[in-house]
Amino acid sequence: MGNMNSHDFWTDRLSDYADDELTADERSAVDAHLTGCGDCRQILRELQAVTARARTLTDAGPDRDLWPGVAAGIGAAPAREPRVLELRTARRFSFTLPQLVAASLALMVLSGGMVWLARLGGNGTDIPATGAARFERPPALAVTFANAHYDEAIADLQQTLEAGRAKLDPETVRVLEQNLTAIDTAIEQCRTALAADPANLYLNEHLVAAKKRKLALLRRATAMTDTES
Amino acid sequence: MQAAIATPGTFTGAFSLQSDINQPVGRVRDATPGRDAGGAELVAQAAAGDVRAFELLYRTHLPRVHSLVRRMAGGRDVDEIAQDVFVRVWQKLGTFRGDSAFTTWLHRLTVNVVIERFRSENLRRQRHKDGEDIFEMLPAPARSGDLSMDFETAMLKLPDGARQIFVLHDVEGYKHVEIAALLEISPGTSKAQLHRARMMLRKHLR
Repeated sequence: MGNMNSHDFWTDRLSDYADDELTADERSAVDAHLTGCGDCRQILRELQAVTARARTLTDAGPDRDLWPGVAAGIGAAPAREPRVLELRTARRFSFTLPQLVAASLALMVLSGGMVWLARLGGNGTDIPATGAARFERPPALAVTFANAHYDEAIADLQQTLEAGRAKLDPETVRVLEQNLTAIDTAIEQCRTALAADPANLYLNEHLVAAKKRKLALLRRATAMTDTES
Repeated sequence: MQAAIATPGTFTGAFSLQSDINQPVGRVRDATPGRDAGGAELVAQAAAGDVRAFELLYRTHLPRVHSLVRRMAGGRDVDEIAQDVFVRVWQKLGTFRGDSAFTTWLHRLTVNVVIERFRSENLRRQRHKDGEDIFEMLPAPARSGDLSMDFETAMLKLPDGARQIFVLHDVEGYKHVEIAALLEISPGTSKAQLHRARMMLRKHLR
C-alpha cells in the first residue's frame, strides 16, 4: 500500500477514478481527496480531456497505394504496371520452332497471294487509293538499302549456323530447314515479282519483312548452337 | 485501498498471437452491423479466392488498418506492417467464422500482427526503459496549430507499452482484461501504463 499522505498516491488513482475502475470505498476516498485538492481536480480534468480527444481521432490511409505489395504478398499479379511487363515477357518467349514453322507457312501463303495480287495490279496499284488523290510511289532507295543490309546479316548468320549445325538436335535441324525454306520461298516470290515491277513499294517492304523473319530465325538458331556447346 | 496496481515500467509479459481472433473485443469503431453487412458478400468472395473482391476489401479497410498500425507501432514501418496485415488477412480469411463483425476480426488480427512484430524485433524492453526520457524531448504543442495533429504526434512518441495500451483502451475501446490477455500482462499493469500514457499526453492538450 502506498503512502496516503503522498500526492502521487492520489494522482496515480485518477485514471481509474475517471474510468470507474475503483471499488466503492476507493472511490469515496478519492472523492474526499479531490474535495480539498485543486491540483488533483485539474489533473483529473486533463486526463478526461485526453480520453475525450482519443475518441475523436480520425483515420487516414497511407500516402501511397500499398496494393502492389499486398498483391505480391498473396501471389496475385499486381493490377497495374506489372501487367505490361507480363505481356512483354510473354511475347518474348512465345516463339517456338513449331510456331515459327506455322508462321512461316502462313507467311508463304500470304506472300504468294500478295505477290500474285501485286503482279495483277501492273503498275503497283495493288493498294486501293482512298479519295481522289492518286497515290504517288516514293523512291525505293531506302528499301534497297535495307535489302542489302539484311542480305549481309543473313549471310553471316548462315555461316555461323553451318559451323554449329552439328551441335543441334536432328529434329531441330529438320524443323529449322523447313522454316527457312518457307521463308526463302516467300523471298523468292517477292524477288520474281520485283523483277517485273522494281519500284513497287509494297513488294519491297514485303521482301524486307520476309528477310527480317529469316534473320530472326537465324539468330535464334545460332543462339541455340551456342547453348548446346 | 487497491494494492495490486503495478508500477509503471513493469510491463514484462510476452506477447501472444495465439488468442482467438474470432472473439469480439474492444468497441471497434466501425463494427456496426449495418456497415459490415454490406461487406459480407465481398468477404465471402475474397475467402473463396476472388482477388478483385479482396482488393475491394483492402481499399475499404485500409485507412482504418493503417491508422491502427501507425498508432500501435509508433509510426515505424507502418506501410510494411499494414501490407503484412492484409497478406495475413488473405491467408486467414478461411478461418473467419462470422461470429463477430468482419471489422472486429480484422481489427484483432491487425493488433496481433503489430504485437508479433514488436516481439520479433525485441524492441519493447528498450523502449520501455527509455520511454520517459524520449517523451521529455518532445517539442511543446503549437498553440495555434492543429491540436489533433499535435496529439497524434505526441501519442506516437509514447513508450511502446504505454502507447499500445493507450491506443487499445482509449482509442479502440478495449477493456483492461482484454488488453491484459492480448499482451500477457496483468490488468493492473495495463491500468498503470494507461495512466502513465495519459499523464504524458495531458501536457499536449493544455
